[in-house]
This record gives sequence, C-alpha cells and structure tokens, in this order.
Amino acid sequence: MNVFLYFDPGLGAMIIQAIVAAVAGVVLFSKNVMHKIKVFLGIAKPIDEDHFDDINIEDPDIEKQNKRDE
Amino acid sequence: MTNKDRHASSFRDPSGHVFLEDGDVKRSIFPIYFKQYEALKTQGIFKKLWQAGLLVKHEELSTSDTEVIIKPEQIPFITYPYEWSFNQYKEAALLTLKIQKFCLDHGFSLKDASAFNVTFHKGKAIFIDTLSFDFYQNNSPWRAYKQFITHFLGPLVLARYHGSQSMKLMSNYIDGIPIKMLSSMLPFKTKLNLFLYSNIHLLAKFEDKHNEDYSGKTKQTTLSKKAQLNIVTSLYDYIKKLELKESTEWGNYYNKTNYSDAAFVEKSQIINGWLSKLNSKRIIDVGGNDGTFVREINNNLDLAIVSDIDNNAVDFNYKTIKKNKETYILPMVLDVLNPSPAVGFENKERHSFICRVQNLAPDAALALALIHHMTLSGNVPFEMSAQFFASFSEYLIIEFPKRSDSWVQRLLNTKGEFKSHFDFYAIEHFESSYKTHFNLIEKQSIANSERVMYLFKTIK
Repeated sequence: MNVFLYFDPGLGAMIIQAIVAAVAGVVLFSKNVMHKIKVFLGIAKPIDEDHFDDINIEDPDIEKQNKRDE
Repeated sequence: MTNKDRHASSFRDPSGHVFLEDGDVKRSIFPIYFKQYEALKTQGIFKKLWQAGLLVKHEELSTSDTEVIIKPEQIPFITYPYEWSFNQYKEAALLTLKIQKFCLDHGFSLKDASAFNVTFHKGKAIFIDTLSFDFYQNNSPWRAYKQFITHFLGPLVLARYHGSQSMKLMSNYIDGIPIKMLSSMLPFKTKLNLFLYSNIHLLAKFEDKHNEDYSGKTKQTTLSKKAQLNIVTSLYDYIKKLELKESTEWGNYYNKTNYSDAAFVEKSQIINGWLSKLNSKRIIDVGGNDGTFVREINNNLDLAIVSDIDNNAVDFNYKTIKKNKETYILPMVLDVLNPSPAVGFENKERHSFICRVQNLAPDAALALALIHHMTLSGNVPFEMSAQFFASFSEYLIIEFPKRSDSWVQRLLNTKGEFKSHFDFYAIEHFESSYKTHFNLIEKQSIANSERVMYLFKTIK
C-alpha cells in the first residue's frame, strides 16, 4: 500500500489522530447534550438556512436525482 | 501510452495520469490501481457519487491488461483554490469531507485531500480526481488528515482571523500551508479552542517532534473507524459554521455607483444588443463585481466567468448563484493587475490565468467600469491594457469613463501634484491606443452619463 503514499502523511499527524478524535468525540457529544437541553427548555435556536447541506449523502437524495435524470 | 503528452500537473500519483488528446482531457489508469478501480466501478461507488453530483463523471474509453483509459466530463475552465472566495473554499472543504464520510461508510478512504482535487463547474464544487480513492484499511488513521488541515482548514481559519487575502497564500504553498507556520500565525485565543488547539496547534507540535526521530520507517498507528468518523464530522461541523469577520463593504456595490437607473438599463441594452449580434456563448467579465451585469445578459450563455479582486463581491455572486441555482456563471477572485501565475514543478503544474483564459478563448470579454482603475490606480498605460485584452479574447466590450466622470476625477485627485502626468487619460488617446490592437466595430455613449461603450474586434 505504501506505493500510494506519494506524499508524506506525517508521522506526528498519524499519531495525533487518536487525540483529535477523542476531542472531537467530546465536542460532538457535548453539543448533542446541549442541544437536547435547549430543546427541552424550549430555547433551541432555529437552524439557520444556508446552502451547505448535511455531511451525509442521503440515499433519498440520490433517488430524487435519479428521477430528475430520467 | 507514452508520457510525452502527460498533463504537466499530473505526475504525483503513480496510479495513473491525465493527458490531452485532440483537445480532450483523458485519464490513463495503470495496473497498480486496477483493483481499486474495478471495486469502485462494480460496487457502484462512482455511480452514487455521480448521482449525488459530487464527483466528475467519466466514460470508459478502452481497457487492456496494461491500461484503462477514461474520459471525464470536460470542464472548460479550471479555477484554483487561490481564486476562490471564502464560501467557495468552504464548499470545496465540505465536499471533500462529505466524500470521505461516504467513502468510510462504504469501505473506502480518500488517499489524498488536496484542494486542487476540487474545482467549480456548473454552479458548484466538484471533485475531479477520480483516482483519489483507496480501500479503507481497518483501524488505520486517515492518511490525508494532515493534508486536509494544511489545504483546507488552515487557509479557512487564517481567513477567519486575518481576512480573505490570506487564502492567496495557497498560490505559493501548493502543498498546503506549512503546519508550523499556520500555528504560529493564529492568535493566542485559538489555543483556548479545543477544536483548533487539537487540529492545528497540537498537530504542529506533534509533527515537529516526530520530524526529527523519523527513521524513514512508517510506524503503524491505529484509529478506529468510529474515531475517524468523529474527526471528519467535527471538521465538517466546524467548517460549516465558519464565517468571515469582514463586513460586506462591496456587497451592495450597485447602490454606490454614480449613474442612474436609466443609464444602467441603457448600458445593459447596449451589451445585450452587441452580444446577441455576435452570438457569444462563452464570455469573461473582468472586474465583473457580483455578476449584476452578466445576469442582465439574455443571450443564453454557456459560460460566463465573472472575476473580481474583491472577495466579498465574488462571495456575493456565489451566494446568488446558489440562491438562483444558476449553472453558467463561474465566479473567481482575480486581481487584474496581478493575475494568478504559473506555479509548481517546472512552473507548469498550475497554469497561469492568462494561459487558461487563452485556452478557453472566450467569444467576448467585458471590461465595465474597469479601465479607469487599471489606468489611474494601477498606472497601466492604454497600450498595455489593450494588449492584455487582445491576448485572450476575440471581441472586447469596454466601458470608458471620460475624464469628466466623477470617479475619474476622484482617482485623478488622489494623484496630487502628479495629476498632470495623467493628462494622457483622455478619450482620444484611449481610442488611438486601442486601435493598435483592435478594430473599432461600434461605439455608443450612455445618455446622462460621462461614459462611452465600445465594441472592439481583435486584430489577428
């Protein structure tokens, strides 16, 4: 597989990902909890309308696109 | 296939390369990548990414034991990361993360995360490196993580704290902003942010530390898929929310212009008349601000590149494109007095703006309310600006604000005691200079303004 390493991924960058992931886990978890609390208290901010979608490529999206293409 | 016609930007990845044949961009895939290519094809990964509009489509032209040749959808004009506005850059970053998330969900992983793998086409960011996908190895970290930080997160965060001009650094650091420099450039308060601390400052420290004891052997490190998904998702969430601090001073430029609504309408009627007579399909509007004039053109254009020096104007244009779902306008950040140079190995990896626009050979170039800035702010003589426009476009529609125009007067007044050196700024001199490179086809004054419109044809 090393043949594909045509750029240096950085050893430090490989090791650090465990830490980055742990931090990300904490951030994501606390955001979730905060959001639930806010929703419970009724102070959850409405989600701003913007043109950037969610990270997931939803399958329904793909199907919709199919229909449009047909 | 020999290497002789290999595209100068395509040499880093041994999986294959891009080449030009009969004016078409094609891609050759080598046996080393056959397994991945077959898997991506048979498992429907390509197809799903195409359907979601994330990856450039391709057709397979030929297959043999030694080579597969594919032809991707042709993209007429490639813009580079240092030519994107802030929100364009954001979209490119989010696209890359979206694809990595999709890959991880389907047993693949992006083996690189270069910002040059993305360009803009038909109103949105699209991934153009079909060979960037590799099999996901269980519990392996993301090899392209550091590359993503130095190519995407770094420039975006720098722009957040130092303004959009910092994204121009990418034209020098085509392998990404050096991580140590990136860390040192960010204000102290970013160290108090857990996300930025871990993804940038700590990364810089780790890279520094492990740089020295690097023996050339790759140590095996492990990271669960769940953990990698956390990294990708948190990067996505952070970048999605990232905003520029700059106010949109040019956002409403057309409220600040010095001509009336009637003059605006007349100006667009003149442009429309000329463009429909020429039947232009591909145009470039140099200094086109937020694309207002291009949107007045009702000539069914295939492609309208709208360049401007101001990030906010380009960003405003980009947002309008998203809102109206326009596909033919391509916004880009460009300083006409210092257009993007050719960079990279042999100065050939990334082409200059001039080279790309000459290859495109637009039917017409528009230069509206631009010449006084080029001549009086940039001190570019008429002969030189004429030569510049003539070098890439057959027709030129140019607006000349006369010496008596209030903007021209303002620019002249800033010259102070040297004002007399700019006596050459006069309509007669403009015409005679431009006629050395162009034939004058038509000329029309805009009523109730100090401006004259010209239609020129390049002398070949």
